[in-house]
Amino acid sequence: MWKTIVSYIPDGIVFVQALVILIVPIIIYFTSKWLQSALGTRPSEDTPTENKSEENTPENGKAETEATLSFTGKYEADLASIKKKIAKNCDVHFREFTMATGKKAAIIYVEGLYDKELIEVQVMKSLMFDDAEETEKPSDDTKKSSDDTKITKTYLMNKMLPISEIREALNLQELISDILVGSTAMLIDGIVEVLLLGSATGKTRSIEEPLSEGLLRGPRVGFTEILSDNTAVLRRHGKNESLEMIKFQVGTRAKKDLVVAYMNDIVNSELLEEVKRRIEAINMDYLPESGYVEQLIEDNTLSPFQQAQNTERPDRVINSLLEGRVAILLDGSPFALIVPVTFSMLLQSPEDYYERWIPGTLLRMLRFLATFFALFAPALYISFISYHPGLIPTKLVMSIIDARQGVPFPSLIEALIMETSIEILREAGVRLPKPIGPAMGIVGGLIIGDAAVNAGLVSPFLVIVVAVTAISSFAIPSYSAGITLRLLRFLAMFSAAVLGAYGTILFFLLLFSHLVKLKSFGVPYISPAVPYRLDDWKDFIFRLPFKVMKRRPLMMKTKDSDRKK
Amino acid sequence: MFTRTDDKITTAQTVVIISCYMLGSGVLTLPRTLTERVKTADGWISLILGWLIIMLAGICIVKLCQQFPGKTIYQFVQEIVGSWIGSCLSMLMILYFVAISAFQIRVMAEVTMLYLLESTPIWAIVMSFMWIGLYLITSGINSIARLFEIILPITIIVLLICMFLSSKIFDINNVRPVLGEGLFPVIRGLKTTILVFLGYEIMIILPAFMQHPQKGVKALIIGTSIPLVLYLITFIMVVGALSVDGVVRSTWPTLDLMRSFEITGLLFERFEFFLLVIWIMQIFSTFTITFYAGSLGLAQLFQKNIQPIMYGLIPIIYIVALLPKNMNELFDFGDFVSSVSIYLFGLLPVLLLLITKIFKKGAVKEDG
Repeated sequence: MWKTIVSYIPDGIVFVQALVILIVPIIIYFTSKWLQSALGTRPSEDTPTENKSEENTPENGKAETEATLSFTGKYEADLASIKKKIAKNCDVHFREFTMATGKKAAIIYVEGLYDKELIEVQVMKSLMFDDAEETEKPSDDTKKSSDDTKITKTYLMNKMLPISEIREALNLQELISDILVGSTAMLIDGIVEVLLLGSATGKTRSIEEPLSEGLLRGPRVGFTEILSDNTAVLRRHGKNESLEMIKFQVGTRAKKDLVVAYMNDIVNSELLEEVKRRIEAINMDYLPESGYVEQLIEDNTLSPFQQAQNTERPDRVINSLLEGRVAILLDGSPFALIVPVTFSMLLQSPEDYYERWIPGTLLRMLRFLATFFALFAPALYISFISYHPGLIPTKLVMSIIDARQGVPFPSLIEALIMETSIEILREAGVRLPKPIGPAMGIVGGLIIGDAAVNAGLVSPFLVIVVAVTAISSFAIPSYSAGITLRLLRFLAMFSAAVLGAYGTILFFLLLFSHLVKLKSFGVPYISPAVPYRLDDWKDFIFRLPFKVMKRRPLMMKTKDSDRKK
Repeated sequence: MFTRTDDKITTAQTVVIISCYMLGSGVLTLPRTLTERVKTADGWISLILGWLIIMLAGICIVKLCQQFPGKTIYQFVQEIVGSWIGSCLSMLMILYFVAISAFQIRVMAEVTMLYLLESTPIWAIVMSFMWIGLYLITSGINSIARLFEIILPITIIVLLICMFLSSKIFDINNVRPVLGEGLFPVIRGLKTTILVFLGYEIMIILPAFMQHPQKGVKALIIGTSIPLVLYLITFIMVVGALSVDGVVRSTWPTLDLMRSFEITGLLFERFEFFLLVIWIMQIFSTFTITFYAGSLGLAQLFQKNIQPIMYGLIPIIYIVALLPKNMNELFDFGDFVSSVSIYLFGLLPVLLLLITKIFKKGAVKEDG
């Protein structure tokens, strides 16, 4: 009895292994936890309060500064204090003149940013010439105000300045920041308020076809770097009162406008609140591109997958808004962000909807297949060649082995050589000027590939695999998703090299374990695949006719689920 | 966070979890274990009968759980039989789940070493597998359910394709005559089939997580029918192709079936690889759900946080998995654990249900 029990007590080595099996995940757990807290800019519950105070409650903080910085109404003193602040800049100009009434006035503008025509034709002309005849009439108005000022702010705004965009600066700080982003300030002797006229009209790019998401059929309109142009493009989608856009200011040092757009009678209000909360929690001195916003509001910093979709296409944004998603546009970036995102969205193209449903469905299936190849083709090659040649047909195996005769490396090294060089090629091709790009493709792809085979570095079969993989990864509509798949492909290759087909299966399980855990703004990343919602499957791998797609995606929990009245 | 009402699992997810749990190692061994006992080709009748029996047991469990909405058995068993006996019963169930997950891992490792990785040490196979399982279950039943929803359709499609392809060597005479030796062999096979259908016992915890616990019975019926159909097809195809004698002689008859034919003209000539792929995925699902059930039990029994318990269970499962010295001991171990389950999840729930009804315990008062 005792002997049998003793015989079952495993060796010491098993206990050591058991210890290893325990310790490794614990280390990983704490490392990832530490990484999450160290790198994770994921807005937690306590951060937003401090940031909000900077933005939403200017009353308290600026109350006392206002007293010292507000304007006196004395022309010389005010001009001097403004000059003291910004006259050092070479691009800031002060143009002093005398109005028709004899009062002194000045306009302050930034070269290249101010609206030259507006200021010259509408403002200066009317102030310098047309003033005399007008001043006599409104004597009733002016009597109420102080005696020595004939023209008041209201009078100026109502009668003398025929321009739409006009507002007043409350204090010096605000005035200066507005001047520096392109408004023209006007200072008039005897008027306490300083007026801000017009807004920046810098040089802009015209609306072009989006470079990163070309379509054969569909609108040839892409976003530009100007926020107002982008919101205008969105507005132009049709008469729709429910499209709402709210503006935020992000960036602690250089403030930028950010617009959150949504359909107010479709979007889930909790989702909207969450998006707002995360945007308010952004704590960064400057946000050059919407990619910054994307990374600062995402759920999981350690995930290889993007958690917001970026797009240059307004039609894509509108379609997403109609599905109950939220779009985020940042000034200075032609890429709008769409949240929440699901993995299937990254494999969809607006063209799927513009073409008829049968070709649309075919294209979608092709893309899913391409994703599979892009991820697993080299891994399967490695595992079959190195571990299970018996599983492929005998004739094929013979020819592969024949072709691999001279290759001195194991299949992993062989595949790594080719995969790495093709990734480098691609990376180089992106940076190169347009005329050289194709030439490099030919040199890199054709000549090196051919030479590598002839030199016996790699087998021709592998070149086919690598080429198919590369082409497949180009078939994915979203560039960012393509990068993710390229990264994961290398992981798949390593796991295949270590544990063969078993390793590939484990990698598959790991990948999907990660995907089912991942959420983008509370929506499971892998939906609509799971949980099973038959209604959402109409627009997943298949793209069924529009007559069948009557409802908005259930996963979005929209306020208005019917697409038809 | 964008709070959602679907944090609980749907009825469809319950179905999928039950099916994935049941479709474990059985797919590969069932034809042999069943035919060994029945000795004729009538095992499929035993399968149906066994399914009916476990349905009854499963319904008992669901009814029992419905008396205590929102609670798992670990939480309410103490209310029924008192804290001492209740704790002991909970502990037994936890041990059972740990043993099953260890058994599944070991079977997986053995088959992988036999067919895929001849020279790889067992710890390398087991460790990576367990870590991924741990990664999945740390995020709870929802993620598990979602992953199972991905695995199950793949399994069904691949299994059906494999079976369809093997119809080339199917011979109807191998499964005839029906009931040639009367009903007795069928009865003999019942015990094996009941063991094969183990997995319904996950219903002791699932109703607590369900969105609509009142649909528990429906979920149970559909969830057990999917494996029944797949097992029936597998059994008939394997016995039909390999004949009764051939099946008894091989350890993994389903894999042997896949190896016994080649289809030319397709990209692949042999399909055992695909069968192994889905089978490893199924083992993964059985392993994760039992691992989860075990850690959930410990967490609720001792009222501790579940995460450290999951980490702590890993080395225990590993050591238990390596205890059997060879395949025979492994199968003996599996048989033993499975027979325990008959008492633990067949008789015990009936008893508990009776006690509940007689002493009117539980939150649901039926007659007022």
